[in-house]
Amino acid sequence: MAPNKQLQLAYGLAIVLFVIAVIGYAGYSAKTPDPPLRMMYPTNAGKVLFDHQTHLGAAGYALACSDCHHHPPGMEENWACGDCHGKPEQHEAIAETCNQCHDPADYDLAEIVKRSDAFHDQCIGCHRQYGAGPQACNACHVL
Amino acid sequence: MSDAPKLIVSHAPFLHGGGSIVVRNGQVLLALIPAAICGMLRWGVPALAVIALSVSSAMAWELIFNRISRRPVTIGDGNAASLGLVLALVLPATVPWWMVVAGTFLAVVIGKEIYGGIGANPFNPVVVSVAILGISWKGYMDFDAMLLTYDPGFVMMEPLTAAKAFGTEAVARFSAFDLLMGRQAGAIGAPFGFWLIVGGIYLVACGVVRWEIPASFLAAVALVAAAFHLSNPQLYAGPMFHLLTGYTLIGAFFLAPEDSGSPVNFWPMLIYGGAGGLMTVLIRNIGAYPDGVIYAVLVINLINPLVDKIRPKALGRAA
Repeated sequence: MAPNKQLQLAYGLAIVLFVIAVIGYAGYSAKTPDPPLRMMYPTNAGKVLFDHQTHLGAAGYALACSDCHHHPPGMEENWACGDCHGKPEQHEAIAETCNQCHDPADYDLAEIVKRSDAFHDQCIGCHRQYGAGPQACNACHVL
Repeated sequence: MSDAPKLIVSHAPFLHGGGSIVVRNGQVLLALIPAAICGMLRWGVPALAVIALSVSSAMAWELIFNRISRRPVTIGDGNAASLGLVLALVLPATVPWWMVVAGTFLAVVIGKEIYGGIGANPFNPVVVSVAILGISWKGYMDFDAMLLTYDPGFVMMEPLTAAKAFGTEAVARFSAFDLLMGRQAGAIGAPFGFWLIVGGIYLVACGVVRWEIPASFLAAVALVAAAFHLSNPQLYAGPMFHLLTGYTLIGAFFLAPEDSGSPVNFWPMLIYGGAGGLMTVLIRNIGAYPDGVIYAVLVINLINPLVDKIRPKALGRAA
């Protein structure tokens, strides 16, 4: 093939591929399914990959949403865990969001555990109760 | 002294073998197409978008640099396209567009053009790019985090990360056949070992890749992994696992044997490939990173000029 033809072919290929890329990125980006399949928690003690589908699905443990997720009575909105169970430094500030619906006299802020403790209690507690699933730190955390 | 002729060389004109830079890059592209197709079928349109953007932006960077440096336009030789395709196949399918563009800039401009273009780069341009991307945007090179939206029906935990964090108990969840056929979480094309082997053998048959480098690379991976596994079977995965996971096969056939970064003599090629395989498993088993291929190839690119000094003694006597 003559060099001129090679160059024309290269220009044509680059333009076509660029158009495909623009269409692909603009129209077909991967979307998070609802409910999610897996969730990644990047923690200070190494990331944790949580298999949400295995806990939820009929082929897995077939848990109901309310077996793990809990909300104060009457709260309809789908809040994230961290909205109430904040990080230590955000704890009080985030817990203030609870006061939008609740009377502060109804609860003690100190009783709202931070998110990492809530997750640890939830995961390890359930795994202990049913004698299945990881319980050691390095069985979940990628250290 | 024997009168038997030791070396016979005919004089010019020579018969042209038909090889050229264009043909060689065409062969590399052809060898990678099966893995690229498998990647697109597995990861869908996002993988197609990454491949298309990587190839086109690699060609665009080369064109821009050609213009800036006032040199002839070289994108017709297919080298930028093949660099773009190799880079795409080692990235996650959901990698953001700007990181692909940054990656091709690093490969084509920083990895190749600033040294003088094709044949002058001391390191494999794609390896330079992936090493910088991995350090700069670690989260986007984390296959576990980047593939959360996919449910392809097999264990979606990156095997090397699982092995490093959870030991061989986690490795038992992966069968060798599944790993060979690409049924593992990973990059767009790197997990499809079978098709990479087919493509690699094709390149060896074409003479683009010398068999000594991939053979010694893979043999060293197998031997060193076997030694670790025998020393502690609970902690270290076996040789088959290391051969079929991560970047091992794409590294052996498409990264380590890159033209200007690899040696040309027999023993140097064996040492070069063997050192790459050794470093890969050392980094995986006792280093900080789950996969060691990228840094192993960087290291062997570095020692390439040194090992290539080992060469047959010249006939005659030096003055």
